[in-house]
Amino acid sequence: MTRNTRRGVMKKAMGAALATVMGVALLSGCSGSASNEEAASGSTSTNGERVTLKVEVFDRGNSPSPHTITNNWLTQYVQKEFGDPNNIDVEFVPIQRSEETTKLNVLMASASDVPDIVFVYDSSVFFRYAQQGGLTDVGPLLEENGSNIKSYLGDDTLKFGQLEGTQFAIPGKRAITARYNSYIRQDWLDKLGMKAPTTTDELYETLKAFKEKDPGGVGSKVIPMGMALAPAQYEPLIYSFIKPVQGDLTYSQRYELPLHEGFKESMQFLNKLYNEGLISQDFSLDEEREQLNKDFQNGLTGFMTEDVGQILYADGTLDNLYKNLPDSKVVALDALTNDNADGKHIKSRYGTNGMYIMIPKSSKRSVEAVKYLDWMTSGNNLLTMSTGVEGENYDMVDGIPVIKEDASQEIKDRVYNGGDMAIMANGKVIGDQEMNEKAWIAGFPKNNQELMRESIDVANADTVGPIVFDRPIEAESKYGTALNDKLKIIIVQSAMAKPDQFEAVYEREMNDYMNIGGSALKEELEQALQAQN
Amino acid sequence: MTLTKATQATKTGDFGKRKSYIKRYWQLYALLSLPIAYFLIFRYGPMYGVQIAFKDFNLFQGINGSEWIGLEAFREVFAMNDFYITLRNTFMLNFLDLLVSFPAPIILAIMLYEIRNAWFKKISQTLLYIPHFISWVIIGGIVYQLFGTQSGMVNTVLQAMGMDAIPFLTDKNSWLITYLFTGVWQSAGWGTILYLAALTGVNRELFEAADVDGASRMKKIWHITLPSIKPTIITLLILNLGKMVSIGFDRPYIIGNTAVREYSDVLSTFVYRIGLEAGQYTLATVVGLFQAIVGLVFILGSNYISKKVTGDGIL
Repeated sequence: MTRNTRRGVMKKAMGAALATVMGVALLSGCSGSASNEEAASGSTSTNGERVTLKVEVFDRGNSPSPHTITNNWLTQYVQKEFGDPNNIDVEFVPIQRSEETTKLNVLMASASDVPDIVFVYDSSVFFRYAQQGGLTDVGPLLEENGSNIKSYLGDDTLKFGQLEGTQFAIPGKRAITARYNSYIRQDWLDKLGMKAPTTTDELYETLKAFKEKDPGGVGSKVIPMGMALAPAQYEPLIYSFIKPVQGDLTYSQRYELPLHEGFKESMQFLNKLYNEGLISQDFSLDEEREQLNKDFQNGLTGFMTEDVGQILYADGTLDNLYKNLPDSKVVALDALTNDNADGKHIKSRYGTNGMYIMIPKSSKRSVEAVKYLDWMTSGNNLLTMSTGVEGENYDMVDGIPVIKEDASQEIKDRVYNGGDMAIMANGKVIGDQEMNEKAWIAGFPKNNQELMRESIDVANADTVGPIVFDRPIEAESKYGTALNDKLKIIIVQSAMAKPDQFEAVYEREMNDYMNIGGSALKEELEQALQAQN
Repeated sequence: MTLTKATQATKTGDFGKRKSYIKRYWQLYALLSLPIAYFLIFRYGPMYGVQIAFKDFNLFQGINGSEWIGLEAFREVFAMNDFYITLRNTFMLNFLDLLVSFPAPIILAIMLYEIRNAWFKKISQTLLYIPHFISWVIIGGIVYQLFGTQSGMVNTVLQAMGMDAIPFLTDKNSWLITYLFTGVWQSAGWGTILYLAALTGVNRELFEAADVDGASRMKKIWHITLPSIKPTIITLLILNLGKMVSIGFDRPYIIGNTAVREYSDVLSTFVYRIGLEAGQYTLATVVGLFQAIVGLVFILGSNYISKKVTGDGIL
């Protein structure tokens, strides 16, 4: 079994374990109310007593020895630079990356176990917690102790953390909004004497040629287009069919994709690809993209879409492919065009915010929590937490931190989870977008940097972004999770239906989608859209 | 025996007698207190949380702080299409499991019983027990490696022989077969234990007598072996019928996937999904409570039938 498969299995194991924990958590929920009230007043540690601040951290199970997720160079750095001067013990609470929301749902129910700083990417989870009154209003705290945070984020990004004018979360800042990009095997194209496809139709022809002529000589195992049941694979395809709701904006949530004009065509196209054997046949099982990457690095895949840079890391998918097949060559390209949007290469980009950083209402350390986040955004701390020490981990070249590749493993390991510790930033926030991109590219192995540059350029072309309303969409927090689940089912069922049954299957699944909250969501979104204009 | 006599004594006797009785048997009561504590804490304690089903549960207000909403959440659940699908799947998977997985250990036990070579019998018995101790998570990994459409070993072999690949995991009907036989593989060996235990009590003379009468092996199995494990079979059948509405979480969750959700989504995974993933604790509790009530009806029902039919119940 590969490492990746095991991770997938581990995820399911965690699920099973969580289900057992649930009963216990519900019980402890009843003890939650008592302590809520004293905490609400917002206490301080001014009496000089040493206090403990608990901070959530993602655990990806990749701590290099001798580090552990709760005791490593970065936690020591935080303790030394922030904790000790402020008389605070900073304690990190690990949460399995793949189970973040489920684990958080359990933790939030307990007033004593929940960390003082928690975070989540899913906005509907944030809104639900805020609406249920589970979060501390950080507005006044920011006034008092958050001057660095405020200047770092700016009003526009801060807005993402507001509910009806109240600041219930501090949003992280995203360094780069580039999201998806496509890769194709140039050596396959060369062998067939074909040009790189530039439209969706041409791509289809190319995929068919890959299938029929098998330029890689891999026989029946050939996968013209790598597919997985993961956003980086199905979203680019869907975005190349849907019509933006307004200018270059689409509804912000993934499960709102079916509410866009053109969604059905995207499913029809996917159905065609599946039934003609042009995409991975078991894509519905591959939510973690294990098989996708395995197939690609074994040289079975001709074309695929991915998160920008995902395959370019040192010893990553691309390096492995080149090791396995030294003659292969991969290039970035912008193949998918959208006929519902003037034939542009429509693809999604990230919003400028990162995750929602929240302080539970039951926390007695809200002041210290804001101080910690403020410290993180001050001075050089964000850079140090994500990249390490200047002169040892990186050198500053023209304002860009360039990673020292010859640094010893021990020094490199210092910041192995830097991205997860520097929660105020998603990616390396150095300056403006252009600087951030350069800094990001500088972090990749030399050989892949050029392809990384091309990938980012492709990902930045013709992007559409998430529309932001000034009030939360109630239906999102109510139906979001169920609809997200349903979206996956729509994709799988539509793709795998026999071509003559596509209409019926698609209608049935969409009806279901509408019934379990889709129509309420649609109505509310359309109203919000009208109110906005 | 002494215990029941003693109990009667306390009922009728005076205070002094009771005191001396407790003094005499306090060790037994001390031993009993542990299981009682277990049931109180882990079985009855959590029932406090059942009231969530009748409240608009707010994570942060706790159970007491949440508003009563009566049966509103029940109405919401009963209006959910997914609820009926998962209920149907729970019955369907359990029923098919009963058809396929229930006879398997019986057949296996008889086959083991017929083996005369003690050494071979011991080894095969041990080998058959092993799958029972493998967690479903591991089995899930093995199943995915073996039965994948494009990369699975079984399909690679099929294709090498010029046959079409079978979508064992992604087509709902093929998946059903995969699910059922994985269950048989995992549990059949372990299930033989009870039957083999029952078979050790069979009088060997019966077989000798049958031999003298010239009965064939099949005849002996039909007329001696099977009747002697009949009570065990019926008891286990009743127990299984009572469990029709409850289904384990691991197996359907791990073997299931999005493509076969139509069949693999059962009550337990449904509760996990709406409760833990979506955070709708009230709805999840409603489904859990419903499951418990139907389960109770099934247990009492099958017990009643068994009392009528065999004159003996399990309660």
